[in-house]
Amino acid sequence: MNGGKKLNIVLAGQANVGKSVIFNYLTGLHQHIGNWPGKTIEKAEGTLFYKDHVIDVVDLPGIYSFSTYSVEELISREYIITQNPDFIINVIDSTHLERNLIFTLQLLELEKPVVIALNMSDLLKQERIEIDFRKLEDILGVPVIPVSAVHGKGITELIDSGLKLIENYSPPENIRLKYGNETEKAVEEISGQINKTINIYPVRWTAVKLLEGDSEIIKECEKENITAIRNANSLAEDLKRIHGHDASVLIADERCNIVFKITCEVMKILPSKKISFRDRFDSISSDKIWGYPVMIIMLILVFLFIFKFGDFLSGIIEIPYKNLQATIANSVGTSFPASLVTSAFDSILALILIALPYILPFYFVLHFLENWGYLSRVAFLSDSLMHKLGVHGKACFPILLGFGCNVPACLSCRIMETHRERFLTALLSVFVPCSAVSVIIMGLVGKFVGMEWAIGLYFLAVIVIFAVGKIASKIITGEPMELIMEMPDYKSPSLKTIIFLTWYRLKNFVYSAAPIIIISGIIIGAIHSAGWSNYISDFLKPVTVNWLGLPLYTGILLIFGFLRKELILLMLAALAGTMNFNEVLTPVQMLTLAIVSMFYIPCVATITALKKEFGWKKALGITVFKIVFAIILAGIISRILTFFMN
Amino acid sequence: MKKEDNKKTLLTDLSVGQKAEIVSIEGGRGARKRLSDMGLTPNTTIEVIRIAPFFGPVNIEVRNFRLVIGRGLASKILVKPK
Repeated sequence: MNGGKKLNIVLAGQANVGKSVIFNYLTGLHQHIGNWPGKTIEKAEGTLFYKDHVIDVVDLPGIYSFSTYSVEELISREYIITQNPDFIINVIDSTHLERNLIFTLQLLELEKPVVIALNMSDLLKQERIEIDFRKLEDILGVPVIPVSAVHGKGITELIDSGLKLIENYSPPENIRLKYGNETEKAVEEISGQINKTINIYPVRWTAVKLLEGDSEIIKECEKENITAIRNANSLAEDLKRIHGHDASVLIADERCNIVFKITCEVMKILPSKKISFRDRFDSISSDKIWGYPVMIIMLILVFLFIFKFGDFLSGIIEIPYKNLQATIANSVGTSFPASLVTSAFDSILALILIALPYILPFYFVLHFLENWGYLSRVAFLSDSLMHKLGVHGKACFPILLGFGCNVPACLSCRIMETHRERFLTALLSVFVPCSAVSVIIMGLVGKFVGMEWAIGLYFLAVIVIFAVGKIASKIITGEPMELIMEMPDYKSPSLKTIIFLTWYRLKNFVYSAAPIIIISGIIIGAIHSAGWSNYISDFLKPVTVNWLGLPLYTGILLIFGFLRKELILLMLAALAGTMNFNEVLTPVQMLTLAIVSMFYIPCVATITALKKEFGWKKALGITVFKIVFAIILAGIISRILTFFMN
Repeated sequence: MKKEDNKKTLLTDLSVGQKAEIVSIEGGRGARKRLSDMGLTPNTTIEVIRIAPFFGPVNIEVRNFRLVIGRGLASKILVKPK
């Protein structure tokens, strides 16, 4: 027993297999979010204290293979190879054994100690599936533990068998799972030519990847193993000639065949059950006609829930917030440094006021729909619409989120596969009117110009999003991705998982957005109390007064809106000295102000989220583009409206 | 048994409920690799579960699980109807 030893383990598996539940079970509250050097991708990391051991647990993203299709796949394999974890827990959905084992086989090729967690084993009986896991253990040569993560069953056994496995671990000498004869011969031949001392990758795995023509591995091996690459190319050509398919397809096919044989040996499907309510809902909710009304009803329900719940929460928070604000203002006085303290506190409170009431229920609902399986149906039904925007069906999800808050929308762009799709989706989501913008649209235009105008503004937003999507997808280089998505069965949502994921996301948002919001709050507060507001308004006069036809004081509003967009409305009331905006602004001015507010800038929290996902350059690029775009658009619309309305 | 039994056709030309065997996957290397990694390899049997309207994606069942494939990509999958 290596008592007190520090260990590093990894959870790996496909999407939707319950990895995060196991991760949560293992690490409880000892979780943190980390990036490894040079990578912008995020991994969930936590610590498990178990029997003298301090175990660092890393939850890798859900992936289907170790090829180079998505950012996640590439990074996951790099992580396993370079960070060299003590052992890997491969989480498998036991109700979809065959599909999951395809990934397991690739994981085993990395030649690290692996323990298989046969998750959702509690559902096997219900699904009328029997798995002989001892036999599976024999065939694969690694421990297989039946687990029911949602109920916390089998998790201790999982860690125990992992610890036992590495006590005296030596990589298996003979390969248990062999490809077809020709492929094996080719793999052996290439293996012999690989320079073992330089390569950090397992030799057999490298040989397979070279044969598959994996661009990253070829790049890695180019300097030292040029003969191996050349040989791999010619062997791949030979294989193609013999089998009529690309070597990479052939290898995948042979892998599938191995898996198929294993599955037949260890799994039995008992005669099936009758059609359940769940199946019936499935066929209605993804039906080519009925699916759409169902989707619209669902979305309306979701938004109602979020806004009702958000209003309810912010209603609760608002009074203590105002009291606290007054207390702080009174206790620190009115000197210049004191006003900075006040603005810092204001920003923190403002953060709580947006983060909590709207983002919290948003994340909750989002993870509920995801966990339940409905989101995949939305992606299925809206794929063709999303293609018109230059992205595929999965993008509907961040875009929908944007209606609540652009921040989670930007962060959730990670569900897209490539950098191009992620950036495009984020770009579209920041044009979606968020709940703060809705406050302006409703409170200004809806109330004083007319509801039909307010709805018109939403239509304008949709048109703008389409236009931006059309143009951006032409400009941004790279091959557009097609939708390839697993359609999970509906399952009973696990509240525990949903709460965990909601909490995890919320924490993440607060940590990343808080510093920026506070700092910019202080700066803007300083500008205001130094009495520079008027200078700024004067400075912005050519834009606000001359081009947009707005009153002079709107200049400073737009600066404050940078912090939180609903401040535009609140400050307008303060500066104009009335809540009856029709006394101080004409309908055209109200519409113009609303349009500028909708598009002119992502708020500071969103910019932070963009920076986090895409770096400063792109975040600032989007910001500048939006400012210019909003000013031009609002100015033109203002002129058109003036022409028609006067 | 229908007449076109031995004919090759595109996945997108199948109707709902029809079963077919994959012959080959054309199109980009990345997507092809992805599909084969997910178990869509030659000679695998697939069944069309549903097709989304407006040139939407195709929902198929393959190796006991359900997969959604965008129409563009699905139209590059050559199949032999069963």
